[in-house]
Amino acid sequence: MVNSRSDAEAISRSLDQPEVFGLIYDRHPATVLRFLGRRIGAEVAEGLIGEVFRIAFERRKTFDASRVSALPWLYGIGSNLLLEHRRREARRLRASARMAAASEAADRRASAGALDARLLFPRVADAIEALPDGEREALLLFAWEDLSCQGTAEVLELPIGTVRSRLNRARTHLRELLDPGGKSRVRSR
Amino acid sequence: MKPVDLARKLRREAAFEPAALDRGKAVLMAAIRQEIEPTRGQTIVPQVPYKNVSAALSFLERAFGFREIPTARLVSADGGIDHAMLGFGGGMIGIGPQGHHGTISPKSGGIESQYISVYVDDVDAHYQRAVAAGARIANGLRNYFWSDEGHRTYEALDPEGHLSRFHQQIRS
Repeated sequence: MVNSRSDAEAISRSLDQPEVFGLIYDRHPATVLRFLGRRIGAEVAEGLIGEVFRIAFERRKTFDASRVSALPWLYGIGSNLLLEHRRREARRLRASARMAAASEAADRRASAGALDARLLFPRVADAIEALPDGEREALLLFAWEDLSCQGTAEVLELPIGTVRSRLNRARTHLRELLDPGGKSRVRSR
Repeated sequence: MKPVDLARKLRREAAFEPAALDRGKAVLMAAIRQEIEPTRGQTIVPQVPYKNVSAALSFLERAFGFREIPTARLVSADGGIDHAMLGFGGGMIGIGPQGHHGTISPKSGGIESQYISVYVDDVDAHYQRAVAAGARIANGLRNYFWSDEGHRTYEALDPEGHLSRFHQQIRS
């Protein structure tokens, strides 16, 4: 977030001088692109990155000038766009689960854990998929983007209490979905 | 393992093409250009020729308060300005090197075949600014009335001899 201090100034200047908004792109593109890529893969993310900033540009009048950095706002716009790509997101998550399972299994070859991993990660993916949109979004911003509860709240434009309870509900849901019988995760199936 | 840590295990970075960020920026810049597109809503744009375009640009900004639209600038291979757009209020002119489209600067041609009317909010303040910036005044401030309404105007020449007439609407 280098220079984020002046995002609000740049956006406010861009109201009269639209071309100044180019600065906002120059400061944040890689972070936003990586975020989109983790969720929907490189190809679609590359198509969306310009869209995020175009929408931001068109809505720049509504930017809350008390926020120093534009990054949470950009994350929020990206996060809304991702909703239109739910199926692709789900596919990527399942693929990631298979890859995580394979690499975990290789690490623990010949140990009992290998089987666990092969079954566990796809179920984690399914469990994340099964979360209500609001909980899934809060969880993935928190877990994948390494945002704090406060940071996640800024992105989702929600009170921090709401984000905490969404995260807690997401945790509870995941635990239940992964361990329905309350027994060991894999063998309970 | 905790649920959040399990979720973290499924985080996977995507591998992007190196040009992805540039293409994204192009989308944004196209949107920005569209917003400030000089010809949008503007159906008549006088194109004014100069021998020295960058000197003219700087003079027009300094003396008359015109403002360049940076995204509209076209640069030639040698780094000179091929064309620039300047806005003022709801109006706009283009400037470029003489010779393009058969045009010629009064500085070379010796005559001016047209002048530009510019409507301003405070013609006295505008006059002071132009004089301070070294504009040659062709006709000083004067009031014209055709009923109880009229104009207060003056005329100034830029460094190459293009005449602009500045008007403020007034009532008697």
